[in-house]
Amino acid sequence: MSERKKIDRRDFMRFTGAAAFTGATWMAVGEKAEAKYWQLDPAKCTQCGQCTTHCVLNPSAVKCLNQFDICGYCDLCFGYLQPGSRDLDSGAENQLCPTAAIERKYIEAPYYEYKIHEDKCIGCAKCVKACLIFGNGSFYLQIRQDICINCNECSIAKSCPSDCFSEVPQSQPYMFLTGDTYLAHPPALS
Amino acid sequence: MKEPVHKPKYPYAWGVVMAAIAGLYFYLTTTGNKFPEPGPNLEYDITALLAVDQVDTRFAETGEITPAVEMPRALKTDASGNIYIGGKDAIAVYDASGKEIERIPVDGAVTCLDFTPDGRLLAGLDDRVALIGTDRKIEAVWGDFTARSLITAIAAGEDEIFLADAASRCVLRIDYNGTVLNRIGETDEARDVPGLEVPSPYFDLAFDSDGHLWVVNPGKLGLERYRSNGDIVTSWYRADVTRLDSFSGCCNPVQIAFNSEGRLVTGEKGPVRVKIFEVTSGEFEELVVGSSAFQLPQGIGDLAVDPDDRILVLDPKKNSVRIFEANETKMAAKPNTQ
Ligand code: SF4
Ligand code: SF4
Ligand code: SF4
Repeated sequence: MSERKKIDRRDFMRFTGAAAFTGATWMAVGEKAEAKYWQLDPAKCTQCGQCTTHCVLNPSAVKCLNQFDICGYCDLCFGYLQPGSRDLDSGAENQLCPTAAIERKYIEAPYYEYKIHEDKCIGCAKCVKACLIFGNGSFYLQIRQDICINCNECSIAKSCPSDCFSEVPQSQPYMFLTGDTYLAHPPALS
Repeated sequence: MKEPVHKPKYPYAWGVVMAAIAGLYFYLTTTGNKFPEPGPNLEYDITALLAVDQVDTRFAETGEITPAVEMPRALKTDASGNIYIGGKDAIAVYDASGKEIERIPVDGAVTCLDFTPDGRLLAGLDDRVALIGTDRKIEAVWGDFTARSLITAIAAGEDEIFLADAASRCVLRIDYNGTVLNRIGETDEARDVPGLEVPSPYFDLAFDSDGHLWVVNPGKLGLERYRSNGDIVTSWYRADVTRLDSFSGCCNPVQIAFNSEGRLVTGEKGPVRVKIFEVTSGEFEELVVGSSAFQLPQGIGDLAVDPDDRILVLDPKKNSVRIFEANETKMAAKPNTQ
């Protein structure tokens, strides 16, 4: 007949102590392995403009990207041109971007490539909104992880009206827009 | 010997600097509403551009059908007024009152529909086309038209079928064996063909009431009329985001159809607008429905006109076919297009 071992108060304390230590160690190691970065979901973004003004960095760590497999390489690019521009050229007065961060490059008649110079981009989302309304919606915002200082609490996240921000794993620091995600969840607009 | 003691010059300076940095960081990261709101220079205000279509229209929305197919993308009406809605793996058929009367299974996602002159059905299936008999049996499936095709519209004649291929950015003329006879709309300076600009997967074509083939040149925001051999007969383009009688955006109109009087009905994406034009001159006639009736941003899945001249619009965001009818009792005042 087996004798059941009696668990006394001291054993219980030892057991819970060991369990707590193991749990804390696991959490610490786990947390380290699961380091997080702030990122914004382009499918939720409503182009409010606060990514420019609410980042603790100036210029903002939020930049515009162009998803080339969605881009139409349009001659009449509304993300690049001021609405109603008569001339389809790179004259400063025709450009929508307040910092001239978008470069229009001739590819072949009648298609043009639009490249964002991130050093000039302030993340204002004007081009994002214009392209969404009048074009294919290939421009979108992302936090550039090489610029972001990963604040404990992202300052833009606190004021973002569309709840776009979340912490993402270090291994997947970007939420790229793809043709498939775009078709399934077209980005919202304010 | 006693070592000299190096005392810092300003013992508290570093502490003050560090405290100031910490304070600033704390202030910036924990308090709200201290950032300036984005100024006008950073705003993209489209209020005035959307207001272009705030005019009276004699059309009213009179009905709606919720398609019983997944991912509805194609819409067509037949001579009896039945409504065909194509989606993933099926075409659902409704009578004019909106009652489902038939379901035709297909293998793939339907991208466009048309009828042959003898009443058979043609369904675009991305890069293929299926010919479906009146008994609903699949008679043929044609494909391999080009290295990469996306068939977005079909117009079927007696001996020839025209396919709008958005991936190849041209119109394919095929016969009833599925053989490509020629390509239409590619840049050809010798024939004055400017070249079809297709920046997005929206590319439509249709026959007018005289059997002439009209093809949208979406990147040039207008229409071109072609002969079967690829000669261009006429064209007109209306690119102006500030005017109702023109098309806005990078590529429009995205859908076209003809009514019983031979008038051209156009559907635009972005700010969704449905309009009527005189097709030969390109003269704007009236607005059917404007952007305020639709959620931004979106495209029109497809557009059709039934034998009673009801205009049907496939609205992907609402997942419904919305029906607009002219109210004949109301004067059709021509809206100010300035
Ligand atoms: S604050 Fe939010 S909604 Fe506004 S631009 Fe940035 S991500 Fe988009
Ligand atoms: S318009 Fe704004 S978001 Fe777009 S590239 Fe210029 S600065 Fe960046
Ligand atoms: S975490 Fe900090 S630095 Fe990064 S985007 Fe947010 S506010 Fe800017």
